[in-house]
Amino acid sequence: MIEVRDLKVRYAGRTVADVPELDVGAGECVAIVGESGSGKSTTLLALLGLTEGAEVSGRVRVCGVDVLEAPPRELRRIRGARAALVLQSPQAALSPATRLGVLMRRALRLHGRDDGEPAMALAMEAVLLDPAILRRYPHEVSGGQAQRFAIALAIALGAEVILADEPTSALDVTVQAEVVGVLRRLRVERDLALLLVSHDLALVSTIADRVLVMKDGAVVESGPAARVLAEPAHPYTRELLEALP
Amino acid sequence: MTLLRAEAVTLGYGRRPVVHDVTLDITEGGVGLIGESGSGKTTLARAFLGLLTPISGNIWYGDQILKNADLRAFRKDVQPVFQAESLDPRMRVGRSVAEALPRNARHRVAELLEQVGLDPTLAARRPHELSGGQRQRVVIARALAVGPRLLILDEPTSALDVTVQARILDLLTGLDTERLLITHNLAVVERLCRTSYVLFAGRVVESGPTGDLLAKPAHPYTRALRDAVPKLGGPPPEARGRTEAVPAATGCAYRLRCPLAAPVCEQPPPLRELDGRHVACHRAQDVPVS
Repeated sequence: MIEVRDLKVRYAGRTVADVPELDVGAGECVAIVGESGSGKSTTLLALLGLTEGAEVSGRVRVCGVDVLEAPPRELRRIRGARAALVLQSPQAALSPATRLGVLMRRALRLHGRDDGEPAMALAMEAVLLDPAILRRYPHEVSGGQAQRFAIALAIALGAEVILADEPTSALDVTVQAEVVGVLRRLRVERDLALLLVSHDLALVSTIADRVLVMKDGAVVESGPAARVLAEPAHPYTRELLEALP
Repeated sequence: MTLLRAEAVTLGYGRRPVVHDVTLDITEGGVGLIGESGSGKTTLARAFLGLLTPISGNIWYGDQILKNADLRAFRKDVQPVFQAESLDPRMRVGRSVAEALPRNARHRVAELLEQVGLDPTLAARRPHELSGGQRQRVVIARALAVGPRLLILDEPTSALDVTVQARILDLLTGLDTERLLITHNLAVVERLCRTSYVLFAGRVVESGPTGDLLAKPAHPYTRALRDAVPKLGGPPPEARGRTEAVPAATGCAYRLRCPLAAPVCEQPPPLRELDGRHVACHRAQDVPVS
């Protein structure tokens, strides 16, 4: 579902992300870990062609679309629909004056879907949210509910790929466990490809199949999560693991 | 005698109480306040800093009630450490630290910056010219300037990268001060606090030695918190009970979320002693250990 080769993202001549290889298949979960400024979020945004003002080279294919070559029309068709972005604070991305149900209906219409109501009901059920929440405004729901709504939106639109940037780091641990549970289940039930950006190595170790460790824009280590996190080969990965409290 | 003690305090904003009948001693070895957003941790910290007067009950500072105490002495003894964003963005960090020092001791800025592991030349920079970890060190240096006996730390590392967090935790462990730590990060509490209090909906539901609390939680909420924390190479974090349910207005506040809830939980559970800790749960004996 995601295939990246020799991706380089540069701002003003400075390379902020250099990813030689990244593949995520259907039903797989790959995590990019690293600290602030390591280039992990930039990599994620580059996969949807959202790095405005940057010089991007290499090859990026998402859901069969060549992101760096495709015309804007084609990109719009995968963005949000086939490949959905889930951010750290969904409430900040949701229009504060629009009820959640109106928002979801509008998104479905925008992507040319006319099965609004049944798709919405199924999506809400998939993330274990009470459909009554659709009548609320974003500030009337909790952080965990807003995050599950963001995932429901992706499901309703028929996402095959979810790109999640620190999706649980603003949530309480109990709520985080719930959101992670939803993502894990959807991945199996719907064969979703999940690319997760996180600084939480412990969390990553429990859900990711493969891991890329990034530092200062470069991938310093990658491989199966169980191996990389149990027997880290790079000193930086070791440092990250030793820093866990 | 403990430096600070809450005695049956109820706290709130306007007439709405958000912390109910909490008794808590800040004892040696660090005290942790654990709970989710909205559990009342920060409200309690505000009361301990004298920023909020209890609706009922008292905060004791030594042998005096805090609201009657000499606030100059209190501010020297008890200092807050909030997230690094509490620095004035326009002020050079050296001046931020100097402000906390008496006029004749301003030369100590360099010494304080060194104490928290910062290069004294950074004093000339403004907060945005420093990294998140460096800013947090400045906040700690400023708190240490008056030589406090107790630091009240509100999520001091939650916005930091894990390697930076580790270094700040090392710094805090090495300081010669007592601490009250507010956090939702159980691993951090385990490292810094000998005793912990778990708050749910403004009430202490369990308190005792941190190690025991996490190894053998006696309250279903403590267990839910512990099991929700992902462990390296461990099983995926588990959600126990429904996190969406609002706290119950009568009886045990946790009962609508609790997997062990029974009819008896419609009665408010008293805080009772059990295996060397205090727990407010009718069904504490039935909480599975593993």
